[in-house]
Amino acid sequence: MNMIRSYGPYDKMMDLIGSNYALLQVMNRFGIPLGLGEQTVEEACMNYGVHCPTFIAVMNFVSEGSSRLDENMENISVPALIGYLRNTHSYFLDFYFPLIKDKLTEAIPASPDGMKTLILKCFDDYASLVRKHMESEEDTVFAYAGSLLDGECPDGYEISTFSKHHDQVGEKLTEFKNILIKYCPSNSDNNLLNSALLDIYYSEEGLDTHCRVEDLLFVPAIQRLEKTVAEKRRTAENGK
Amino acid sequence: MGNDKFINIAVAESSIIIRTGITNVLKKLPGLRPQLIEMASADGLQNYMRAKPVDLLIVNPAFGGHFDIAGFRKKAEAKDTKAIALLSTFIDNSVLANYDGNISIFDGPETISEKINEVISGPEQDDEEKTDTLSQREKDIVIRIVKGMTNKEIADDLFLSVHTVITHRRNISRKLQIHSVSGLTIYAIVNKLVELKDIRHQIG
Repeated sequence: MNMIRSYGPYDKMMDLIGSNYALLQVMNRFGIPLGLGEQTVEEACMNYGVHCPTFIAVMNFVSEGSSRLDENMENISVPALIGYLRNTHSYFLDFYFPLIKDKLTEAIPASPDGMKTLILKCFDDYASLVRKHMESEEDTVFAYAGSLLDGECPDGYEISTFSKHHDQVGEKLTEFKNILIKYCPSNSDNNLLNSALLDIYYSEEGLDTHCRVEDLLFVPAIQRLEKTVAEKRRTAENGK
Repeated sequence: MGNDKFINIAVAESSIIIRTGITNVLKKLPGLRPQLIEMASADGLQNYMRAKPVDLLIVNPAFGGHFDIAGFRKKAEAKDTKAIALLSTFIDNSVLANYDGNISIFDGPETISEKINEVISGPEQDDEEKTDTLSQREKDIVIRIVKGMTNKEIADDLFLSVHTVITHRRNISRKLQIHSVSGLTIYAIVNKLVELKDIRHQIG
């Protein structure tokens, strides 16, 4: 049962994926390709320049169902985690959403009442909400983390400002999904439409997991960083 | 209705068997879309709550030796948090009085679901509130929204105050679970409230 056992650096990559295919995504977004043969986690990380403890932390977090808050995560690298989160953003915005849109475009026939155009426009609207959410995260939160890493402590902003209002971005897709289920034209190509719907379900889950990585791995890591920077600052001031 | 409502639930219990067990039961409850966080230590709970509000805390009264529910209630970050005691042994009633409810590890899914709903949403809402068909006035407003009119224009057109229009819009979104104009447009077309020619501006 993969719930209990945690993965370590000497596990084979193949065994990880074999036990839980959700980990494929983690691997992909850390920039580790397939075709790794017998390589272990540590070897694969070394070969592809991935920060191994961070990779393992995310792997275990996701494979355990993305709900466990673990306070012993001091070895996570914030830059590596940000890289992973950015890749996740771009996976959805630049790859997955366009793919869904293509399927919808093909599945829904053009009709005089303009439903096809309306549904596609509706999808664009929801996708752009997700885009806005993610872009603002990159502009504010990741930028803030960047300055903390440089040892600066920008006044007037704390990670809790972000986390308190960090809403579930997957929710936006839920609404579109429900609209599609309720109102899509019945003469659509149902196999293709179903496939698009399943992609949307999958995106919802994926975005959900993504938000949990942010809330339960990223935010605590930044809180620790805030503490360290503040302490350093205090020591420096006392030394004067 | 509201079956897609997210609620942030923290499960604070040091036994992994019980913690994972209750988490799995909660995940499967219909009508609830919980964001679950498992807490194994009191420090973890405190740090997390500082970063993010928790709607519902399900906690073993013996969490971390003894869970200080009275102290927890006084914290600013916990002011909107409901607390349910998770019981695996007999606990004195005077302790339970500080909680909003309690769940026993022997409760079935229906009981758990009822108890959680009661704590989260309070007493059952009346049926009137729950209906999801739009009134004629709400339909009038939907038609004008999808035609691209502003709240002010809608208010003037229907002799209402802007405030009333906004209230109607909120009710419409709640009933249909649609918050976007493009989504409302689809609803309006399917239900033949408007025709394509009315919404040309949207399609461009």
